[in-house]
Amino acid sequence: MRRVGIVGAGLIGTWHAARWKQLPVELVGFYDIVPEMATEAVAKFGGRLFDSLDDLLAAVDVMDVCSPTPHHNMPVLAAAAAGKDIVCEKPLARRPGEAKEMIAACQAAGVRLFVAQVVRFFRQFSQAKAVLDSGALGRPGFIRTVRGGASPLSPPLVGTKGESRRAWFADFEQSGGVIMDVSIHDLDFARWCFGDVERVFARGLTFAGVEPYDHALITLRFKNGAIGHVEGSWAYPPGRFRTRFEIAGDQGLLEFDSLAPAPLTMILRSDESPQAPGIPRPHSPLSPRDDPYFLELAHFLNCLESGDAFLVSPQDGLEAVTLSLATIESIRIGRPVYLEEFEESLV
Amino acid sequence: MNVKIGMLSYAHMHAYSYAACLKQIADASSVGVELVGIADDNPVRGQEAASQFDTRFFLSAETLLEQKLDGIIICAENARHRPLTEMAAPRTPHILCEKPIATTLADAQAMIDVCATHGTKLQIAFPVRFSPPVQQLKAILDEGTLGRIYSVKTTNHGRMPGGWFVDQALAGGGAVIDHSVHVIDLLRWFWNTEITEVYAEVGHSLLHPDLGIDDAGLLSFKLAIGAYGTLDTSWSRPESYPTWGDVRLEVLGERGIVRVDAFNQNLALYSDQTGKGQWVHWGSNPDLSLIQDFVDMIATGREPFITGYDGLKALEVALAAYRSAERGEPVSLPL
Repeated sequence: MRRVGIVGAGLIGTWHAARWKQLPVELVGFYDIVPEMATEAVAKFGGRLFDSLDDLLAAVDVMDVCSPTPHHNMPVLAAAAAGKDIVCEKPLARRPGEAKEMIAACQAAGVRLFVAQVVRFFRQFSQAKAVLDSGALGRPGFIRTVRGGASPLSPPLVGTKGESRRAWFADFEQSGGVIMDVSIHDLDFARWCFGDVERVFARGLTFAGVEPYDHALITLRFKNGAIGHVEGSWAYPPGRFRTRFEIAGDQGLLEFDSLAPAPLTMILRSDESPQAPGIPRPHSPLSPRDDPYFLELAHFLNCLESGDAFLVSPQDGLEAVTLSLATIESIRIGRPVYLEEFEESLV
Repeated sequence: MNVKIGMLSYAHMHAYSYAACLKQIADASSVGVELVGIADDNPVRGQEAASQFDTRFFLSAETLLEQKLDGIIICAENARHRPLTEMAAPRTPHILCEKPIATTLADAQAMIDVCATHGTKLQIAFPVRFSPPVQQLKAILDEGTLGRIYSVKTTNHGRMPGGWFVDQALAGGGAVIDHSVHVIDLLRWFWNTEITEVYAEVGHSLLHPDLGIDDAGLLSFKLAIGAYGTLDTSWSRPESYPTWGDVRLEVLGERGIVRVDAFNQNLALYSDQTGKGQWVHWGSNPDLSLIQDFVDMIATGREPFITGYDGLKALEVALAAYRSAERGEPVSLPL
């Protein structure tokens, strides 16, 4: 049974931990630069509290890197040097140069690197890809996506438990803002569906000085001629987080909206319960086997066993980072950014 | 352990889904599962299915049942569930039988009895119990969140399936027997209760001219827990409707309401290739959980989650609905 260790015991780290517990692996423990967070995770999920990355590395076969974005590079390089297979939370890195360094190190060390672009494992999105691949839409022409909610640091989230742990999201230098943290999901999904992007043009709040809000409307032109529109938001009023997409081809259209009526809604009359009375509470439950985080980690393990390629290649992880950065660059300069030129400018 | 499963008849289209689920479990599970073969009195249909699911076709049910099976899945016409169960029970330790269990209470009781005689475990295929939204509703009800239950308004709509489903002798009835049993089973399971009285309006050839059998049904019932409710079992979804139908449940209690639309996790697909809108379900597949549960029951030796008795009690309500419609008055249960 493989031994798994988690670096970074924040939100994603604990989500992954819960799924590792359902898989045939041993969850060895956690390391976090904030020891209290690792201690909390150990209390909840078991395993040991590790005092250093090296100690954790020495005890595992698989390193699951769930630290904040700017801290993916160092643990991935260390894990590669130690010969451990790696799961790395998205984005693979804050900058393409770091991502390239990580990919090269894993290749040189002969270890597997899986970039956890989890949206490809959400059943709404994987079914959409299957419908697209079935040909029911004809030749793909247009993709529109929405992903957004309130800022991770806007009221009423400010002052709640974990606020300080989320502070890095609001620091553009660390997180890359809503584009690198949120829209990267849809930029990757759009690439998965339509292939490589020729050019990107975007407008947004990234440099508008309205922190902690951030927002972007992104225009894509794919190499195959198709067009894409991606909206990412940390600027909506508080309320339900929303994802939405539509994919149009020359023979069909496919739509999804997370705010469509849910399969289960509960409305309570009185305030005897902790929830406010009269407010509908929607639920869209799935079998545990269909949980996207379970599916992506099970996929990782299956590919380790079989030697098959991952659904998300390390190169896909890098391309998503590059495309996100090109998007930010377009907002900064107010002109379209051609991906090939942009990549050359980074070298 | 390698669980060996056979399938008797592909008359009911759910057989195709169950076979696909067996294949999926065989590919993914640590418990080995093998679809040993298919027997069907329609040899063309049976051979095509065997080829589709990469398994053997057996010319006779007897020969398939000689293959030392751990379990058999019966998807024959409703009226043939009893003879096939009587044939299988002495030879196969586990039976999964498509709903409704039978077309008469006498047949249902005979199936339960023959399985009891041979120590064979009989499970009835009520997959909606495995729908995650329905399971979440069950959990909410178990916690008592709604307090006293006032009413439950339900539907199980569908498309008119045609074929033997509209043949009284083989199906035992039309829309009412085909669709009422799913939701009645859920209600009995939710509250561990029984239906005590049924009044029904049944429509014959109402939505499909000259069909010659009931294609619309509306049951109004009382539950032993003190709640009342309705169930619309109609084949009222036209071919142009974007999906096969629905299972909808609205439970009203003293503290609030829960509304479930069990299969409402869909992508909307509009393709010129079909010329109509379609819903592509992305929610979890309850059939897969049903078949996994059957395999787990065999592998672990536990008792069935859904028994022959559950099948009989659901059938009894459907039969009571027909009787009520004939008489024009409520019918008390048990019959």
